[in-house]
Amino acid sequence: MKFFDLLQTAFLNLWRRKLRAILTVLGLVVGITSIVVMISLGLGIEKATLDFYESMGSLTIIDVQAGSYSEDGKYVEKKIDDQSIAAFEGVPGVQAVLPMLNLYGLVTSGKYFTNLQILGVDAGTAETFGFTLAEGAMPTYSRGARSYEIVFSPWVLQSFYNPKTWQVAVDREGNSLITKNSRFRLTFDWMNVYGNQSMETPEGYTPGKFYRLELVGVLSEENYNYSWYSLMAKDAVLRLMKENKDFVYAQEGYQSAQIKCVTMDEVASVRQAVMELGYTTYSALDMVEQAQEQTRMLRAVLGAIGAVALLVAAIGIMNTMMMSIYERTREIGIIKVLGCRMGNIVTMFLMEALLIGFFGGLFGLGLSYGASALINLWMARGGGMGMGMGLPFQSVIPLYLAAGGVLFSMVVALISGLYPALRAMRLSALAAIRNE
Amino acid sequence: MEEKEVLLDVRNLSKTYRVGSVDIHALRGVTLQIQKGESVCIIGRSGSGKSTLLNLLAGLERVSGGEIVIAGKRLDRMSEGELIRFRQRHVGFVFQSFNLMPYYTALENVAFPLAFRGMARRERNRDAKHILQEVGLETHLRHKPAQMSGGQQQRVGIARALVTNPELVFADEPTGNLDFATGDEVMRTICDICKAAGRTLIMVTHDAHIASFADRVITLLDGRVVEDSSNPLEEK
Ligand SMILES: Nc1ncnc2c1ncn2[C@@H]1O[C@H](COP(=O)(O)OP(=O)(O)OP(=O)(O)O)[C@@H](O)[C@H]1O
Ligand SMILES: [Mg+2]
Repeated sequence: MKFFDLLQTAFLNLWRRKLRAILTVLGLVVGITSIVVMISLGLGIEKATLDFYESMGSLTIIDVQAGSYSEDGKYVEKKIDDQSIAAFEGVPGVQAVLPMLNLYGLVTSGKYFTNLQILGVDAGTAETFGFTLAEGAMPTYSRGARSYEIVFSPWVLQSFYNPKTWQVAVDREGNSLITKNSRFRLTFDWMNVYGNQSMETPEGYTPGKFYRLELVGVLSEENYNYSWYSLMAKDAVLRLMKENKDFVYAQEGYQSAQIKCVTMDEVASVRQAVMELGYTTYSALDMVEQAQEQTRMLRAVLGAIGAVALLVAAIGIMNTMMMSIYERTREIGIIKVLGCRMGNIVTMFLMEALLIGFFGGLFGLGLSYGASALINLWMARGGGMGMGMGLPFQSVIPLYLAAGGVLFSMVVALISGLYPALRAMRLSALAAIRNE
Repeated sequence: MEEKEVLLDVRNLSKTYRVGSVDIHALRGVTLQIQKGESVCIIGRSGSGKSTLLNLLAGLERVSGGEIVIAGKRLDRMSEGELIRFRQRHVGFVFQSFNLMPYYTALENVAFPLAFRGMARRERNRDAKHILQEVGLETHLRHKPAQMSGGQQQRVGIARALVTNPELVFADEPTGNLDFATGDEVMRTICDICKAAGRTLIMVTHDAHIASFADRVITLLDGRVVEDSSNPLEEK
């Protein structure tokens, strides 16, 4: 028989029993819809998690801490110094290394002051690591300049207060009294701010110097990782450290460093290499993996619900087809006597199953898109937040899921139809002759 | 009678049904030869094995013993798939109870067996229309079985059996469900068409009058051939 004739015959056979066919298709629609929506939710959650970390720009960044813990929990010391930074830079897959050169300072402006966490960076490195400026330019350092260039963290200007009265530097309307145009001075000597409270001047005490600051920019608030830092040129920080040995904690090397990998794929191998050098490493990928693990569990559960629905649908298909074969015993006998080949009979019934599967998948997909749109609407109105879901996620149905859903539906139907089709094929031609 | 080609050669054919622990011998050694173009009528009492013989010859049932050779091929050694292919090529079948597809029109019913042979729709309909004309139903092409009389339905059945140009046409009590006059007309139709096209017709009946349409009458009794005559009742 020609393919089209087979298809048409199969379709007519279904069409003759419209209601039953539709009910059977309905079972599949429910099953496919639940599976597709569940998977789409899982994909959406995973995507939202990934996007979140991606937006922090930190998926390719490895945090390195000095020293490491051996397997029995003992701390093994290993400092991060310029040599190790150079070693990190030599690891394949590393784009840049940012030694965390921290300096804790005090900034005064008139009678107000605030604390400052200063990070010493080179302009190029800062860019690679995704420091973005709300305004201005990156700080530079030139030996002998009369002031030090600085970029403030986004909240510095709002955090000035009077050390004597604890009054915050705002006017009656709540506007900050300190602006970009205020004059700033940097010092590391607490006594310069609070005065000498113990009344006794320590032996050989020389008050810490004040340094003039030139505010060249403000960091953007989008720097999730670094937003509490104010930036100065690395050499400026090194020089200030040297000049204020008495007031700053003189550390050897760096407390930590950050490594930026070229792509996410290198993160694992770079981490391995750095750990082998004797350091402890952290990566946001750890968290993503954890999140993925969680959504994977969720999806497995959701998928199981859909699978049960599909199983029921599959049994429904089998039942419908067995019934229709019992009803059509005589008809099958007749077409066998008329010379319909066994293969054609099997194909005809399998096609009926496939048609059920196809329409079940198609309508299921349509329903899935509808459900997905509803979920997204609900999420957009903040419904997900009320449910305690951390990230606002969207239900997404990528093309492969859509195609896969229809295909899967057809496969399920095909498998359910296999036994009935074989039964139909084996029916005796004699059934047609007997008059009951 | 001049020398004719043997189309169907049956030797010592037997068929035994086992019902519970009892063997029922429906056929007990039937031997006969049928020439190409002959029209043969098998008669006999109810339960004598007529239908059984016909079904065996059409390859609808397996033999218990003996052999059937049709056009040089051993029917009793074919697999079910081969039997279907054999029927597709060589056999047309007319049923007592018409067995038309109720949801198909006369034309679609007649064209149906051609679809099994992979024929294109246009040729199918052309052939079907042609044969329906021959059985005198050119005005009822678009009628469904329920909209036709028994005689008309059986004409559609005959057209369906003949549309594939089979060498062998089997008919098991083709007039069994028709009244006397209609049965006569239908018999005339089927015999005329088969004779004109040189087809071999083997039919079963227990109506002696119907048997008179055939060239040859074989009488079965209790699973054996008891009489085989070039038609003694011939009156036409
Ligand atoms: N499938 C079967 N199982 C068991 N016995 C059967 C079967 N088919 C036929 N028989 C038996 O074989 C014998 C011959 O039956 P068959 O149908 O050939 O008779 P028949 O000559 O066609 O009779 P009728 O004129 O009533 O149609 C009968 O005794 C019948 O009971
Ligand atoms: Mg009979």
